[in-house]
Amino acid sequence: MLDIILSPQLFFAAAVLGSLYALIGLGLNLVYGTMRLLNIAHGDIVMLGAFSAFWWFTLTGFSPLLALPVIAALGAMIGLCLYILLFRRQLAQGLDPVVIEARSLLLFFGVSVVIQNVTALLFTATPRAYRHLDEVFRIGDLAMTGSRIAALACSVVLLIAMLVFLKKTLFGIEVRALIQHREAARIVGINVEKVQIVAISMGFGVTAVAGALLSMTELITPFMGFRFTIASFVVIILGGLGNIKGGIMAGFLLGLLEIYAVTIFSAEARSILIYGCFVLAIVLRPQGLLGIGKKA
Amino acid sequence: MKTANIIIAIPAAASALYFLGLWAGPYWQIVALNLTMWIALTQSWSLFSGLTGYISLGHAVAYGLGAYVMASLFREWPIWLIIPTGGVVAGLFALIVALPVLRVRGPYFVILTFGLAELVKFVLLAVDTALGQSSRLLFGAPNTQTLLLWMLALAAAATLLRHHIGLSRFGRGLIAIREDETAAETIGVPITRYKVAAFALSTVIPGMVGAVMALRSTYFEVLQVFSPTISFTIVTMVIIGGSGDARGPVMGALFLVALAEILRGLSPQLYLIFLGLSLVLFVIFSPNGLTGLLERKPR
Repeated sequence: MLDIILSPQLFFAAAVLGSLYALIGLGLNLVYGTMRLLNIAHGDIVMLGAFSAFWWFTLTGFSPLLALPVIAALGAMIGLCLYILLFRRQLAQGLDPVVIEARSLLLFFGVSVVIQNVTALLFTATPRAYRHLDEVFRIGDLAMTGSRIAALACSVVLLIAMLVFLKKTLFGIEVRALIQHREAARIVGINVEKVQIVAISMGFGVTAVAGALLSMTELITPFMGFRFTIASFVVIILGGLGNIKGGIMAGFLLGLLEIYAVTIFSAEARSILIYGCFVLAIVLRPQGLLGIGKKA
Repeated sequence: MKTANIIIAIPAAASALYFLGLWAGPYWQIVALNLTMWIALTQSWSLFSGLTGYISLGHAVAYGLGAYVMASLFREWPIWLIIPTGGVVAGLFALIVALPVLRVRGPYFVILTFGLAELVKFVLLAVDTALGQSSRLLFGAPNTQTLLLWMLALAAAATLLRHHIGLSRFGRGLIAIREDETAAETIGVPITRYKVAAFALSTVIPGMVGAVMALRSTYFEVLQVFSPTISFTIVTMVIIGGSGDARGPVMGALFLVALAEILRGLSPQLYLIFLGLSLVLFVIFSPNGLTGLLERKPR
């Protein structure tokens, strides 16, 4: 048993999955944190990113890594469209955050059902995968496929870039101010509308990229999204809302937990574990997901 | 709607549906069965979620537990005993989880009920897999006509229950919780007891509905009867119909069952796409649903 637990192979798998969870959680943090939009379609953006990468690779034959900027732009466009069509009016009315959360939940649920079924209608529900960078690299006992190394490297670079962006640039500070306290952010002269637009575009863009990277390591289907929606909520509950570093750590922790649960128990343990963590996290924090600056 | 009206309306609608099913042939029997099933489910859901404002995305669990009880006990117990047992099991499960779950408020309650429902689904799936039982067949179930009769009784019971509780002291207390939970507590509404009671009560009829529907499909699979689509459809129906009184869930169920019958022949995906779109449109343009639209006109 101990040799399983200490195996570098599992550790590597956990790092790959964890880095993707961290990235997806970061996307949700930007959307939920700044606007209190309960995005239960978040996992479906992961799915769209994964399908874009799949079709890019299948149709052009070029590496999906080359398509990452395009996929990021695509995710950002979807976020922007949803913001303009569904949420700008709701957010501008100055409604109670509780009302905004409840409505956004129903709206995103509708959006999620539409995205999943349009995808299934266009591409059928058959699971898909592609082979790219599948040569194996070995370091001692550790065997790694090129695609996993690439996914891990890309997501770590992106995580660091986002972290630096949010910590060091003026715009990043504005985003974090909005996450901490919306009204106070407005009072000190932050252009809330502009920050919201950039936050939702960036959040969706990052999430779509995570989906593209994920498609290099796993089977993809139009209905794969739920799992990632739930996982991203677990990540932001565990890490604390608006706490970017905490979220990243929580992502890696969840990846680790999941890989070990699947190895030690069975593949079904994965869902039980994720939903179990999710239920426990909410029940133990009944004041809500807000790690900081709880507003009544 | 006045009580006198509802006492006339329910038997009238029920017998109309029954005779429609009887005379118009098997296709309409199944449509009538689906419609009454959704009415029974949405009215029960509305008893808790409509009155208290705690939107539950977990009522598929009640339905699934009822179906699970039927699949497990079929041929061992008489059917007339299994159906209420399904309701009791669903109600007991709701009672057990109620206290921790109902401490959570607002949107977190919504996603929590969803997560809990998925957790129950995967746990039962693991249990079934461990027991080597991935699916069960139910041979010798009663015919659709009998099931329709039972379902009509359940739908009528759910509608009456929803109507009466809406007008009772208990129901007023639940509405007070929806409007302002803290204020309700201050003026002496026993909020915890009321919420727990309404939550458990709202799952009993869905449990019985699940038990009856297991007989209809004659094929039982955990993934199917605990499907989150059931919970989502209930919520969408009530949002579309409006949750103000007992009419809303009926209108929402009519609207979506009609949509399903028109589109399902073309493709199931198309139906779900329209379901999602109508949810989005109603939330944006008419948050009070079809009843809200009807009431706006005369003014």
